[in-house]
Amino acid sequence: MTISRSKCGFALTLGASLMGATLLAGTAFADPVPLGPIVAPEVNEAKALLGQRLFFDKRLSGDAAISCASCHQPENGYADDMALSLAYPGSKGFRNTPTLINTSLAANWMHDGRLGTNLNDVTREMITETYLMNMDMRLMQERIKQDPVYVEMFESAGYGEPSNGSIRKAIPEYLATLTSRGAAFDNGTMSEAAQRGQALFEGKAGCISCHNGPRLTDDQAYNVGTPENPEIWSDPMRHMTYAAFAQFMGIENYMNIRRDVGAQIIRHPADGSDIGSFNTPTLRELTYTAPYMHNGTFDSLFEVVAFYNNGGGQDANKDERIKPLGLTFAEQKELVAFLEALSGDPLTGPAHVWPDPISTNYPTIENWREVQN
Amino acid sequence: MKPMNNKLVLLASVAAIATSAAMVSAQEYPPLAPLGDPPIPLDNKMTDAKVELGKILFWDPRIGGDASTACVTCHEPDQGWGFGDSLSRGYPGTVHWRNSQSVINSAYLGQLFWAGSAASLEKQAPSAAKGAVAGNGENEVMETRMAFIPEYVTRFNEVFGTQWPLIGDAWAAIAAFERTLIVNDTPVDKYLGGDESALTEEQVAGMGLFNGKAGCIQCHNGAQATDENYYNLGVPPAERWEEDGLAQVTFRYEIYAKGVTQEMYRVLKDDPGLYFRTKEKDHMGKFRTPPLRYTAYTAPYMHNGAFWDLEEVVQFYNAGGGENDFTDGTMASTKSDLIKPLGLDDDEVGQLVAFLEAFSGDELEVEPPVLPPYEAMASE
Repeated sequence: MTISRSKCGFALTLGASLMGATLLAGTAFADPVPLGPIVAPEVNEAKALLGQRLFFDKRLSGDAAISCASCHQPENGYADDMALSLAYPGSKGFRNTPTLINTSLAANWMHDGRLGTNLNDVTREMITETYLMNMDMRLMQERIKQDPVYVEMFESAGYGEPSNGSIRKAIPEYLATLTSRGAAFDNGTMSEAAQRGQALFEGKAGCISCHNGPRLTDDQAYNVGTPENPEIWSDPMRHMTYAAFAQFMGIENYMNIRRDVGAQIIRHPADGSDIGSFNTPTLRELTYTAPYMHNGTFDSLFEVVAFYNNGGGQDANKDERIKPLGLTFAEQKELVAFLEALSGDPLTGPAHVWPDPISTNYPTIENWREVQN
Repeated sequence: MKPMNNKLVLLASVAAIATSAAMVSAQEYPPLAPLGDPPIPLDNKMTDAKVELGKILFWDPRIGGDASTACVTCHEPDQGWGFGDSLSRGYPGTVHWRNSQSVINSAYLGQLFWAGSAASLEKQAPSAAKGAVAGNGENEVMETRMAFIPEYVTRFNEVFGTQWPLIGDAWAAIAAFERTLIVNDTPVDKYLGGDESALTEEQVAGMGLFNGKAGCIQCHNGAQATDENYYNLGVPPAERWEEDGLAQVTFRYEIYAKGVTQEMYRVLKDDPGLYFRTKEKDHMGKFRTPPLRYTAYTAPYMHNGAFWDLEEVVQFYNAGGGENDFTDGTMASTKSDLIKPLGLDDDEVGQLVAFLEAFSGDELEVEPPVLPPYEAMASE
């Protein structure tokens, strides 16, 4: 899981040096990847349709209580509207649910960036993780095989017999259909305020040094001093879920820590220098995905912009590029207008959302003794 | 497994001789005996505090996946400390695939579960708490939950001396509690202890059949009334596997998860029992002889709950057992040679049932514990 992250520290150092140089020179930033547009990946329709049904099927969780869509809700930009996410029954989440729109174009996943291979692995992690869907994939496979609709769909998709391996291929195929479209930024229909906001974004505010490329993220982790969300430590169900996670991730003294260590879990640098670093999030579809930051600590985009304008938060490991920006109130509003222009059409129609309720019952195989398993 | 085979051959030979004589000699087997105190393992000694902790944990659904399923969920005191359906209820969204066995007197067993896959109560508890169709829990999460229950932190510290509760200690405490669930004062115990008034004439006649004509003693022997060996009696496959999609899912899951060949995965339609552990074909369809104690409260019976009362069970044996996929040559033919028509008349069947009922004694009831709540930890 550390593969794509192994050079992160080096890149960070290099990036910071470059930044220092550019700030000193008082000029624009050095060649960030251009913003937009999103190029939608090619998808196989039959596979994506299968993945869509799986995404909305609660039988993919251990007790058949939740589906992927229980937390990644279409009406909330495939995130939810809470600061901290739901979790598998008996647990509670300790981070903000990220949007899945454009996730198929990401280089790594999770707020700490710990998954750096592909969405097949991410899908497996989400399905099997105890506090997420808590599913034994062997049982999942047999559940799916019991549903004639799936048997037919797997066959049509070219996967043959349902298997947990092809479940983990079909869901990423569906996720590849969740791409931004219709944003004012992409259509060239931004307001003048938003256009001025873009200029600030790429210039005075310096957002583009991390938020660049089509998804407006460099998929790297930084420490911006985001305040802790105290609910993680005051709600025992959230705290215990984090503590179990930290134990599993090899964090020393996991019972006594009172902060989310973020990307520290990847390389475990002895000086703790990755503590409090979190992945740069995409800035697309923000109007659907409040609240913001890895722990949902800010309710509105204006709060986020004001946070950066003040030079971020307080942290010993804070990235040195996070400095007071000196934006006026009007400039902050323009920046927000630009951020809002990065949200497109809602993906809530039948092309993306499975239209019918999916029964959690299983039809009986009537000629059970006559057919092979 | 070689010694077991040898023993089986020996038993079979003995049975053949005995059957030819139309009588089983009780002297060949450990006799039924009063049940004494259970063995206590040296590495898990009993204390009142440990037993009390184990009792609370036994009732606590947070020792499981979604905090809905405790030990007691499938081992209900008012259902014989088992579960009153053919197949155990299983984790939400699933059904289990075998009958839930009573916890009463499990302290005396050396092999837990129907195919004997756990060698101690300390090993049985985690296997049940973590199985996908049972508790579906995971160590880190269950252990961390206990740390947020101050009463557990205090109790584990007192009993085990740790700063935080450890999941392995939870299994030890649960096992200690289970070793207090003993019923050893049944009419049969009293009778065998010298109180001839403890059994009725009918029951005494039933015991005679048990030890003689019916030959039950060949496997159901010793104080626990089990030799803890493995046999195929021809118990028919569970009806729910034919009638219930949810049970079909679990059946396939088990043969997939427990590991069989691809070919076997395709064709198995019946529980291969001991085969899962040994992968030896002559172990297909064999299950551990269950103890006969407390059975008045633990219907239905057999590894898949095929029979709903003790008379049905006795009639099954009287008819020479039954047929399943491991008796008729579908998969393998492993039916025990000991299982033959017994030629019991209706009176004799009644006597045997009456004797079995005398093996149960009074129902063991306990006051359910109050579950301690979660609390937030003080900030550093």
